[in-house]
Amino acid sequence: MVEELVATRTTPLSGTYGGSGLARLVIAGDATRLSVRAGEEALGALSGALDIELPRAPLSASVTDGGYAFWLGPDEWLVINEHGEEMIPRLQGIEAPFSAVDVSHRNVAVTVVGPGAAAAINAACPQDLRPDRFPVGKVVRTVLGKAEIVLFRKEENTFRIECWRSFAPYVFGLLDQAAKDTAY
Amino acid sequence: MLLIHCPYCGEARSELEFAGAGEAHIARPENITEVSDEDFAQYFFMRTNPKGIHYERWRHIHGCGRFFNAVRDTVSDRFLKTYKTGEPKPDRAEFEGEGR
Amino acid sequence: MRKYSVFALAREAMRHHSGWEKHWTSPEPKSEYDVIIIGGGGHGMGAAYYLAKEHGITNIAVIEKGWIGGGNTGRNTTIVRSNYLYDESMDIYEHSLKLWEGLALDLNYNVMYSPRGVMMLSHNEHDRQTFKRHVHANRLYGIDNEWLTPEAAKEYCPPLDIAATARYPINGAALQRRAGTARHDAVVWGYGRAASDRGIHIIQNCEVKGIRRGPDGAVSGVETSKGFIGAKKIGVSASGHNSVVMAMADVSLPLESQPLQALVSEPLKPIFPCVVMSNTVHAYISQSDKGELVIGAGTDQYNSYSQTGGLQIVTHTLDAICELFPIFRRVKMMRQWGGITDNTPDRSPIQSITPVPGLFVNCGWGTGGFKATPGSAHLFAHLIAKGEPHKLAAGLTLDRYRTGRLIDEAAAAAVAH
Ligand SMILES: Cc1cc2nc3c(=O)[nH]c(=O)nc-3n(C[C@H](O)[C@H](O)[C@H](O)COP(=O)(O)OP(=O)(O)OC[C@H]3O[C@@H](n4cnc5c(N)ncnc54)[C@H](O)[C@@H]3O)c2cc1C
Repeated sequence: MVEELVATRTTPLSGTYGGSGLARLVIAGDATRLSVRAGEEALGALSGALDIELPRAPLSASVTDGGYAFWLGPDEWLVINEHGEEMIPRLQGIEAPFSAVDVSHRNVAVTVVGPGAAAAINAACPQDLRPDRFPVGKVVRTVLGKAEIVLFRKEENTFRIECWRSFAPYVFGLLDQAAKDTAY
Repeated sequence: MLLIHCPYCGEARSELEFAGAGEAHIARPENITEVSDEDFAQYFFMRTNPKGIHYERWRHIHGCGRFFNAVRDTVSDRFLKTYKTGEPKPDRAEFEGEGR
Repeated sequence: MRKYSVFALAREAMRHHSGWEKHWTSPEPKSEYDVIIIGGGGHGMGAAYYLAKEHGITNIAVIEKGWIGGGNTGRNTTIVRSNYLYDESMDIYEHSLKLWEGLALDLNYNVMYSPRGVMMLSHNEHDRQTFKRHVHANRLYGIDNEWLTPEAAKEYCPPLDIAATARYPINGAALQRRAGTARHDAVVWGYGRAASDRGIHIIQNCEVKGIRRGPDGAVSGVETSKGFIGAKKIGVSASGHNSVVMAMADVSLPLESQPLQALVSEPLKPIFPCVVMSNTVHAYISQSDKGELVIGAGTDQYNSYSQTGGLQIVTHTLDAICELFPIFRRVKMMRQWGGITDNTPDRSPIQSITPVPGLFVNCGWGTGGFKATPGSAHLFAHLIAKGEPHKLAAGLTLDRYRTGRLIDEAAAAAVAH
C-alpha cells in the first residue's frame, strides 16, 4: 500500500506572538499576494478584475474587506487578499500590457498594535510616524534595520508590516526587542 | 545622513532608502560600436567631480524604486533640487548665489 | 640640519630642550621654480624629497593650501601592506613596503613603521578561496603572505573569537607579517624636514587657484592665493581635490571624491597586537601606540568635499566591530572624522603624464594610498624628472582607461585600505 504524504506549508513564525503591553506583535494570517507592474492604460481593467482599485496617488492604499492594494511606486503595486483567493486566474484576457507575479509566500506580515506601536517601529525605521505626517491609510516601502519592508498604517495604533520571509525572524526579533523597550 | 526629496513619492525620505548612482546627464553614445577609444573613455570613465554644484542620479531603491536626478552642492551636501528622470537639466544659474 | 640621535637627545636633556631646531623653514615663494608640487601630503612632499635626493633637482616648491599633512595623510588609519592581487599593484605596494622598512634611517626621522602584521579574516568559502588566491599570487611574486588556520590566527591575535557559534565564524585568515602601521603625520614631517634641508621650499597656507599655460600649451606656473608662481614642471598630488586642480588645466579625470571616515576609542592598555581586517563584515581595527583603538569605516555613496560623512556609516562599522569583537562593546569612541578620497573606477591609482606638457598627476589613491606613500613619491619623482614612468609604475597611466587595461583591485578585494 502506498501511503499518501501531504506536505503542509508553514509560514515562518506562524502563530508567534510577541511584543509588550504597549506594542503587541502578531503574525498576520496567510494571504495571497500579487506584485503588479502596469502602466496607466491597464489600471482600469486590473482594478476591475481584482475587485480593488489600484491607487494612483503616491503612498496611498485601497482597502476592502480583507483586501489591500498598496501603491509602491508609479507603476508598482502590492495587492493582498486575506481570504486567500487566487488572483492570477482573474487577470486572463486583459489586453493592455502588465505583469503580475504571485508572491503570496514570499512575504510575511507582522501586525504591530498598541499605543507604543509607532515608537517600537521607529526604533529601527526612519519614517516620520507622527499622525499628521503618516496618517491612517498611508503606505510606504522603506527599511527596518537592514531589512526592506512595506509599512501600512491601518488604524492610528495598528500597523501592518510586510517583509520577505527570510527576513521575518530578523524583523520580528527587532520589533520584539523594540516593543519591550518602549514599555519601559 | 541626508534627507532626500523623492520626486515620485513627493516627500523627503532618509538616505537609508536610497542608492547614489553617480553623475547625471551622461548620454550613452548612440553609435557605441563606432566611437573611438578616446571618446568611449571620456563617456564611460571621465567624471566632472565638481566642488560645488553637481548633477547626480539617485535611486529610491528601498522606496518607490525609481531613478531620478538631483542637483546638490558637494561642499555643503545640500540638495538644491530633485526632479524626475527625463525632465530637462536645470540651468545652474537657477542655483547660483543661493544660500548654500 | 642637526642629526637626531641618542647623543642629541642626551644633549638636549641637559639643556632643557632649548636647542631643537624647527623641522623645516617657511620661506616666501620665489617668482619661479623648476618644479612645483601641488599638495603637501606624504605623496607630494615625498616626491619633492626624492627629486632632490635621486635626481638632483632642488629648485622646488611644495604648495599646500592648508598645513602639510592636513589632508588624508593626517586622517588615515595607517595600514601598510603589499598583499594586493595584480602584478601592477604588487609592484608598487611592495616597492613602497621596502622603502618603509628603511625610511626612518633614510630620513633620520622616526616614522614609527611597525610591522606588526595585517590579518584578513575569512568567514566563508568565498573568502577562503579569494584569500588563498591572494596568498598564492603574492608568494609567486616573492611577497610574503600566508594562510592561517583559525587556531593559528587566534594565537597571533588573542582577542579573536574563533568559536563556531560566533556571529561571523572564522574559517581561517591570511596574514602578511611584514605589513603593519606607521605614524601618519610623522611621515610627511620626516619628508618635509629632509626636503627643507635640501633647499626645497615648503609653502603652506597657499592655495593653487589656477594653472597658467604658455602659447605652446605647456605649463608656465600657478596662480595662488600668494600670487603667480612660475614653474617649468608641475606635479599635482592633491588627494581629494585632484579633479578640481586638474580642471584648472582642462584635464578631466576618472575620479569621484567621496568622504571616508575613521574613528578612535578612548585609550586602552595594550590588547590588540596587530591589524585585523574583515572584508565581508567590512570593518578593520588596530591599536595605536597611544592605546586608542583605530577603526576604519566606509565611504559615503555620494560625491562630497565636506570632509564629514554620514553617521550611519560609522554606526554600521561599529555594529560590525562589536559583532567581531564582543569584548569591545563597552569601549567609548572618542573622536570621529572624515577625509576626502578620490576614487577611480578600478580602485587603482593613476600616476601619469597628461595631455598638457609639463603637467604630471598622481591621484586616485582613494581609500588606500597611505601605505604607498614612499613608493608612490619615489616613482612620481622619477616621472617628473624623466618625463616618463618608472617601469614599476608603467601600468598606472591614464591611458589605461582608453586601452581598457584596468587594474581591478576593487573586484579583487572589495575594500582596499
Ligand atoms: C579615514 C581614512 C582612512 C584611511 N586609511 C588608510 C589606510 O589604513 N591605509 C592606507 O594605505 N591608506 C588609507 N587611507 C588613504 C590615504 O590616507 C591616502 O590615500 C593618502 O594619504 C593620500 O596621500 P596624499 O599625500 O596623496 O594626500 P593628502 O595627504 O590628502 O595631501 C593632499 C594635499 O593637497 C592639498 N591640496 C588640495 N588642493 C589644493 C590646492 N588647490 N592647492 C594647494 N594644495 C591643495 C590638501 O590640502 C592636502 O594636504 C585612508 C584615508 C582616509 C580618509
